[in-house]
Amino acid sequence: MNVFARPCYQIDKHEGYTVVKLESNLDFTNCKVFDGQVDELSSNVFVVINCDSLPELPKDWLRCLLKIHLNTKRDNKFLKLIHVNGILLSNLKREGIDTTFRIAKDLRDALQETGLAPKRQLNTEFINPFLAATIHVLKVQAQVEASSGQIYMKKPGEVMTGDVSGVIGIVSDSFNGAVVISFPEKTFLMVMSSMLGEEYTKITQEIVDGAGELTNMIFGQAKVVLNDKGFGIKTAIPSVISGKDHSLSAMTNGPVVVVPFTTPYGKFFVEICLSQ
Amino acid sequence: MFDPMTKVLVVDDMLTMRKIVTKILKELGFSDIHEAQDGVEAWDKAQTGGFGLIISDWNMPNCTGLELLKKVRADQKLVKTPFLLVTAEAEQSQVAEAIKCGVDQYVVKPFSKDALKAKLESTYKKVSVRLAA
Repeated sequence: MNVFARPCYQIDKHEGYTVVKLESNLDFTNCKVFDGQVDELSSNVFVVINCDSLPELPKDWLRCLLKIHLNTKRDNKFLKLIHVNGILLSNLKREGIDTTFRIAKDLRDALQETGLAPKRQLNTEFINPFLAATIHVLKVQAQVEASSGQIYMKKPGEVMTGDVSGVIGIVSDSFNGAVVISFPEKTFLMVMSSMLGEEYTKITQEIVDGAGELTNMIFGQAKVVLNDKGFGIKTAIPSVISGKDHSLSAMTNGPVVVVPFTTPYGKFFVEICLSQ
Repeated sequence: MFDPMTKVLVVDDMLTMRKIVTKILKELGFSDIHEAQDGVEAWDKAQTGGFGLIISDWNMPNCTGLELLKKVRADQKLVKTPFLLVTAEAEQSQVAEAIKCGVDQYVVKPFSKDALKAKLESTYKKVSVRLAA
């Protein structure tokens, strides 16, 4: 190899993904070296190819990228090209592979779909799946019609109280949080009576884990929707807190969103928080 | 459909979910229903119980439903036992894994009585074909 030559590619490995920066001076010799590294660099990780300085892709290099594409596909990951200019895009179209590779604007954009750099904001995209899941779960499992009220951000120091609460952690590779569903006694007893087909007049050990099960179902439904968008949320097991007027404090420095719900049996609320 | 006299094992770490499944099974005519609170207890009961159907939650501490399924399918005596997994997270990869391990059907929470009945009917058809082969 010509020691004076400018290196034509650079590989940066990160946890869960690899970034390959391709330069404009791609040549056949370097391609052979790169080809020997393809399997290792694309094994069970997402791969991002930075085409910032690239006017076109020689055919030998395209073959390497196709190889990476197949490797990542095999591992349920993907390859994405970023900073693709118009000339390069025409080049890919000419080769008939412009739809083979996924293209993203930049690294953050590319990683958002992987869950490695998710949108952490407590925005509607994140909250709505929990809201829809809450309504669906109560309707199907407990035959209770719930409707959501005005969503609001919890103020610093604001304390929410409930009599029975289900809590589940939101854990992914890059962010954490929690979902809490909290019922006053009356609402909880009516929901459990409807769900289990027996009348309950006080909160007992027999029904208290119902709050955990509802939380589990709501989390599970929302998780599928969010993971389809690349949030990478992991499976978790819920906990239950029981006690008259217990208060809930989020163990996070991030924002907390409160979604109040009403049912024919009374109110309850869902809290969602994410760490920053 | 399964004979209502079929001995059924319902496995879930959540008492309320065991009550929900048991309630629906009773409404469908089943009467010989037993419960276990995790895969460990279920495994002990399954080995001595002569169950004709196992309905297990997936996500449980100690021994998950999938681990229980693997044990059942690896046991010569229990290998043909009809097995339904109940899960709150029907992600494609999970479903594929369960099928690979030999699950007969999976039920996604929340579910209605009709949904569970349909899954039981489908399981029965599948198992009947398997036993006839």
